[in-house]
Amino acid sequence: MNVPLIELEAVSFTYPDGPTAVIDVTLRIEPGETVVIIGQNGSGKSTLVRHLNGLLRPGSGRVLLDGHDIHSVHVAALAARVGLAFQNPDRQLFAGRVASEVGFGPRNLGVRGAELEARVAAALEDVGLAAEAETNPYDLGLSRRKLLALASVLAMRTPVLVLDEPTTGQDARGVARVRAVVASAAQEGRTVIAISHDMRFAAECFGRVVVMRAGKVALDGSPAAIFAQAAWPELRAAYLEPPLPAVVGAGLGLGSTPTAAALVAALPGPAGEGRGRPPGRAGNE
Amino acid sequence: MAIELSGVRYRYAGASAAALSDVSLRLEPGRVVGVTGANESGKSTLCLVLAGLAPKVIGGRLDGSVRIDGVETTAMRPYELAQRCGLLFQNAATQLSNTTATVFEEIAFGPCNLGLAIEEVVERVWWALRIVGIEPLAPRDPARLSGGQGQLVALASVLALRPAYLVLDEPTSELDPAGTTLVAEALAGMARETGAGIVLVEHKTDVLARIADEVLVLENGAVALSGSAAVLADPRLAELGVEPPARVLLEGEVRAAGIEWTPRLAEALA
Amino acid sequence: MAALEVVAAFALPGWVGPLIVLAAVLTTAAAARRLRGLATISLAASPLVGSILLVNLFLLPGAADPIARLGPIGPTWSGLWFGLQTVARLMAFSLAIGLVYLTTAVDDLLADLARRGVGRRAIFVVGAAVQMVPSTIGRAGEIVDAQRSRGMDTEGPIWRRARGVLPLAGPVVFGALTEVEERTMALEARAFSAPGRQTLLRVPADPASHRVTRWAAILAIAVIVLARASGRLG
Repeated sequence: MNVPLIELEAVSFTYPDGPTAVIDVTLRIEPGETVVIIGQNGSGKSTLVRHLNGLLRPGSGRVLLDGHDIHSVHVAALAARVGLAFQNPDRQLFAGRVASEVGFGPRNLGVRGAELEARVAAALEDVGLAAEAETNPYDLGLSRRKLLALASVLAMRTPVLVLDEPTTGQDARGVARVRAVVASAAQEGRTVIAISHDMRFAAECFGRVVVMRAGKVALDGSPAAIFAQAAWPELRAAYLEPPLPAVVGAGLGLGSTPTAAALVAALPGPAGEGRGRPPGRAGNE
Repeated sequence: MAIELSGVRYRYAGASAAALSDVSLRLEPGRVVGVTGANESGKSTLCLVLAGLAPKVIGGRLDGSVRIDGVETTAMRPYELAQRCGLLFQNAATQLSNTTATVFEEIAFGPCNLGLAIEEVVERVWWALRIVGIEPLAPRDPARLSGGQGQLVALASVLALRPAYLVLDEPTSELDPAGTTLVAEALAGMARETGAGIVLVEHKTDVLARIADEVLVLENGAVALSGSAAVLADPRLAELGVEPPARVLLEGEVRAAGIEWTPRLAEALA
Repeated sequence: MAALEVVAAFALPGWVGPLIVLAAVLTTAAAARRLRGLATISLAASPLVGSILLVNLFLLPGAADPIARLGPIGPTWSGLWFGLQTVARLMAFSLAIGLVYLTTAVDDLLADLARRGVGRRAIFVVGAAVQMVPSTIGRAGEIVDAQRSRGMDTEGPIWRRARGVLPLAGPVVFGALTEVEERTMALEARAFSAPGRQTLLRVPADPASHRVTRWAAILAIAVIVLARASGRLG
């Protein structure tokens, strides 16, 4: 699988009847990176990721995959490289069976026969819907329809996976499924980019956090850097709160501990372990 | 005075299995009862039954009794139910009437339906705006609000009917952290100020930990756990598909690593 | 007023009706600064206009005054004439309706219906139908985005694009259906079915000049329709 380098160069975008949604964003995302974009609703996150597969074309600036400007490449062709899973499943589900819904994407990419069946089965397994292959999608509750929409993009096996608020509306089991999907895609070396409001998910499952505020990138760095006490004023200006372990770690003077694992590592342990790890290292690997 | 469910079993029209089985619950004025549970565990169905919409509006079969202040919901008309028990859904967009130009008129929609005198309508609208803390939004176009603001307008719209009880079905699920805080704060203030009894269904157990007096956890349509808000620290929560509040989770992980949960740690949480 | 224009466009014979109406619509639009909106509507109607002209030009039955000879069929003067007349009628009709949309504030219309004692259900249906247009457009945009992201070809050749009908139409229908139940419950939760008359918050201004114009328009409609029915016109 050829995982592309993604580069956004000074991308700006304005909707015809609205204010500028994305302003001068420059980002370089290495192959295999896991990036979570956080920020208030309306801060430009969804607009930004729609540039990655050509749904939106920058008003100014460029989007490059492996160094090639994608401005003249069709979305249908980009979809084979960048899979984008939307928030609202009811804006895409149309098939009479769960299995054919999941097969739609790979079929569009030319996948047929045993390979198609294998992909559909694997994607349904990943999101915990293997038993529902013959069910009508609209007989599933909203949270399972969301997982189905996720499976329909997973089955395309794109080298880049973009997920818009994948954990919203999920219960603990659904969140665990989404975490596993992110972890296994990352393990296969694919690039994962997610939008999320869930700070715990952001801190624990991603190597890099991008904070957006009013269309611009306000912060960009590791979870340890973004959730460190020094960055809190900037976070709060973006209407975000650091995750609880970061607050506790800072309160105890242990440095930046964005996750429970990082906090545990920084606390004096039962057998003297823990102090050995320098504060500021996140337990997100 | 209370909403009382006893031995309630409910099956949707056309469904083969019951969505709720043997649920009993008592909601008194001024109390906040939190309800959580995995998806499809019966939370939304419970809301519809509490507000009387199931079976009155959507049909289905109800066994057991649901009484609001002593009157069976099946004996009341939908507009009578609406004045006793308000219901707020997840999605603000589908519950606004979409026929008004301003937030003020949107909130007035319910009182106007009741045919109240215009002075009474205006007074109720300002009251609802104040309780929810959105007076500045009154002249705005309801179609052009943020998600959190839209949900607060929907909340005020339900409040304007002056129900003694309120049922809120995941009012923060579509919101960002700032919107969630906004709604949670409005709810906390509302319970105190209006003296209404509130049932709050939430996945975000942090919100429940903050404002619920009692908590019920549902599983497959039945009550699996119930009690004070301390239920949210019950170790069985994870098996029930519920993510505990952040501080419970953190305390658990620290203890699991064999580290003592010292007062110093508890203090750092606050 | 629009009703008068629409009736006049169809009921007045020959060129008189459509041309008078077109002139009236354009003057009103200019006064209300809505000419740009009408230009958009005209543009949208242009394919239909083209086909009406072509069909009449070549295929008007019984026309025997050829402009030129081109084998078995040929353009005729009477075809061209009739085609232009039909187009004038069509444009007068659609621009008059379009002008109503462009100049009427929906909430004023609804408030006025309520004041005239129209039932709340009927008013709600009108309001919801008008509101549905922008929300359906928004929803359709999201659906197209989602399906394109799943590799559906919307930029390739037409035969490949044609396969996208079901994936695009399906979610529009299912989405609307899943919303209906929630909307119904939300309305009931706001006492929509309470008996008796609704309280009215707005009373739209209705100055004497408007009332006179309205009655004059109604009178004119009656005269045209009666004249037409009695065979004195056309």
